[in-house]
Amino acid sequence: MSKATGAGAGTTLYSLFFFAFLFGPLIIMVVTAFNSSSFPRITPWECFTTDWFSVLVNNARLMGGLGTSVIIGAGVVVCAVPIGLAGAMALSELPPRLRAALYTVLITPILIPGVVLGISTIVFWGIVGRAFGEEYASTFYNGIFLTLIGQITFISAYAMLVFSARLQRFDPTLTEAALDLGATPGQCFRKILLPFLKPAIGSAAFLTLLASFENYNTTVFTILSDSTFTTALASKVRLGTDPSLSALAVIIIGLTLIGAMVHEARTRRQALLRSGKPQLSPLYANPVTRVMTHPAGIAIMLIALAGLLVYLGSRHDASACKAGILQQKRAVQEQLLEEQRARIRKLREKAGPATTDAPATNNPSPFGGAFKPGMLAPKEETAPANPSPFGGAFKPNALKPKE
Amino acid sequence: MSALSKAMHGFVGRHGMGAAVFIGVAVFFWVIFLIVLPQMAMLDYSFRNNLPVADVGGPKDVYTLTNYAYFFFSANGSINTLDIGVLGNTMLAAIFVTLIDIALCYPIAFILAHSATGVAARLMVIGLIVPFWVNEILRAFAFRVLFGATGVINGIGQSMGLWDAPIDFIRADVALYSGLTYAYILLMIFPIYNAVEALDRNQIEAARDMGASWWRVHWRVVLPIAKPGIASGATMVFMLTAGALAAPQILGGPSSLWFTQLIYQWFNQSANWQRGSAYAVLLLVVCICFVMLLMRVFKVNIGAIGR
Repeated sequence: MSKATGAGAGTTLYSLFFFAFLFGPLIIMVVTAFNSSSFPRITPWECFTTDWFSVLVNNARLMGGLGTSVIIGAGVVVCAVPIGLAGAMALSELPPRLRAALYTVLITPILIPGVVLGISTIVFWGIVGRAFGEEYASTFYNGIFLTLIGQITFISAYAMLVFSARLQRFDPTLTEAALDLGATPGQCFRKILLPFLKPAIGSAAFLTLLASFENYNTTVFTILSDSTFTTALASKVRLGTDPSLSALAVIIIGLTLIGAMVHEARTRRQALLRSGKPQLSPLYANPVTRVMTHPAGIAIMLIALAGLLVYLGSRHDASACKAGILQQKRAVQEQLLEEQRARIRKLREKAGPATTDAPATNNPSPFGGAFKPGMLAPKEETAPANPSPFGGAFKPNALKPKE
Repeated sequence: MSALSKAMHGFVGRHGMGAAVFIGVAVFFWVIFLIVLPQMAMLDYSFRNNLPVADVGGPKDVYTLTNYAYFFFSANGSINTLDIGVLGNTMLAAIFVTLIDIALCYPIAFILAHSATGVAARLMVIGLIVPFWVNEILRAFAFRVLFGATGVINGIGQSMGLWDAPIDFIRADVALYSGLTYAYILLMIFPIYNAVEALDRNQIEAARDMGASWWRVHWRVVLPIAKPGIASGATMVFMLTAGALAAPQILGGPSSLWFTQLIYQWFNQSANWQRGSAYAVLLLVVCICFVMLLMRVFKVNIGAIGR
């Protein structure tokens, strides 16, 4: 770290601030998943509970949407990855002027607001459907079909960007050498270019799946009356919030962390193997640590840990604590009620013996007892806790000038 | 056209007929049926009346400007300040969010490219990516948990005695702006990072040796290199923020309306697809014009986006 690049306390401080902004909301959301309060919050802390997870799993609409999302996600991966590959290859082969034009066209779906894409998709396929004289129940009005089409439009562009980045590092002399040695062009494509692109295919597939699963703006229009996981989630959030959504976040973040750790282990292991002498590393030489630092080993350990946590969580019973909290709340309510009663009793005593025959204890008469016989007698002071909605404005004394 | 056929021939020679046909068909289908025709259909639709199914294609199905007129003028002929105001507010808010994102991300991208090393840099990259694997809706929800009337910030502030009554962050749009800023951070960092990474560190050191102050080094040496990255990131963040729907629906206050929400209402509550299309066209045109204008001003071309 050199001074010239501005490294130092300021840098560290800013990085810490930045990552606090990035992770703070997520951490807080995760914590709220374990609070028994029915609104997601940290203060006041009530009970540690795992009940919100079962609330989440029992939500039929979300789980139904999950199925739809998986179908759509698989379809998008199958279509968007080849289309993105085709786009990237076309870009790499075209002469510069044509390439710039095609690039502009292919990149626009990323920039166009998702709302606009969704609308244009349903409008266009609706017109196509009508042109074929189809009924409203046909494929062209099917939410899953339309969502697939709408998502492929822009998710292919993501895949294309991934492939373009990889293709830029491709050495075309490899293909030429193979052609000179007598390979057919088709063989070159299958045996040289596709293997070279293999890692990019993997990451493009992952990216497209994630993008499809996450998408809301386009999907909310194209899904019509159906619902995917994300749209079901959004309507649930809009209607009202409860910590079962935090529980969902816990699950997603957990899966993400496991994935990130396994991926990190894999890149480290590959770097180690590529260095040529993995035996020199103490972690690799020892068979136990070698298995433990193998990506599969780490995956198994993490999944086992997650399984253990789920098992422990499912056995945790918060009902006793919840009952305690309920009792406490009742006690507080009771106390408040008692105080109010005491106040009213005191008032009545002050108002004189005439009110003793009034009905019920805490009378919430809208007239504030103005029509009670004793009330017309001039009083010393106005009641502090008058339950009248008019704030005592209609009492005879209220109009008198104050002293 | 000759250039195209030449490229095609070269392509068949190198990758074979099968690959060439696959690429040709896939790109053609993508460009024509997924990108161009749907936009045309939407444009066409926006000039039509909202007719019952039986009348579609009949004598009443003529082109009209009423949908656009509705946006500009209210019923009695005066300017429709409500909808125009919503569009203007959306644009202003999107600009605001984009500026905040630039200010937040430029330092971190620079740190990532030139100050952090080894494990720290790797951890930072992972730390940047991981939050964005979480669903967009859930990220907005997290901000609702933070900023709600009984949310975490109000809870902590009140229990510490900083303020008495809960502050309505949602009505004040604090929650919305933070949520949007958060949502698209990643799209700002990586373009800037890619641009700044290309900078030779010796240039910075040379400038320092010549006695340039820290601010001056950034203004004269780093920023010009970072400019295409900033433009690319800013374009994406601006377009996505202006077109955001989930965050305004979840975090928006009762008085503030995002333009996409208007479009959503025309489609799903009023069932007037034609007018919704007209509004969508307006959003698209305004956004694209704005981005083009900025690219002209800052002398960046669209080819830089997504790199």
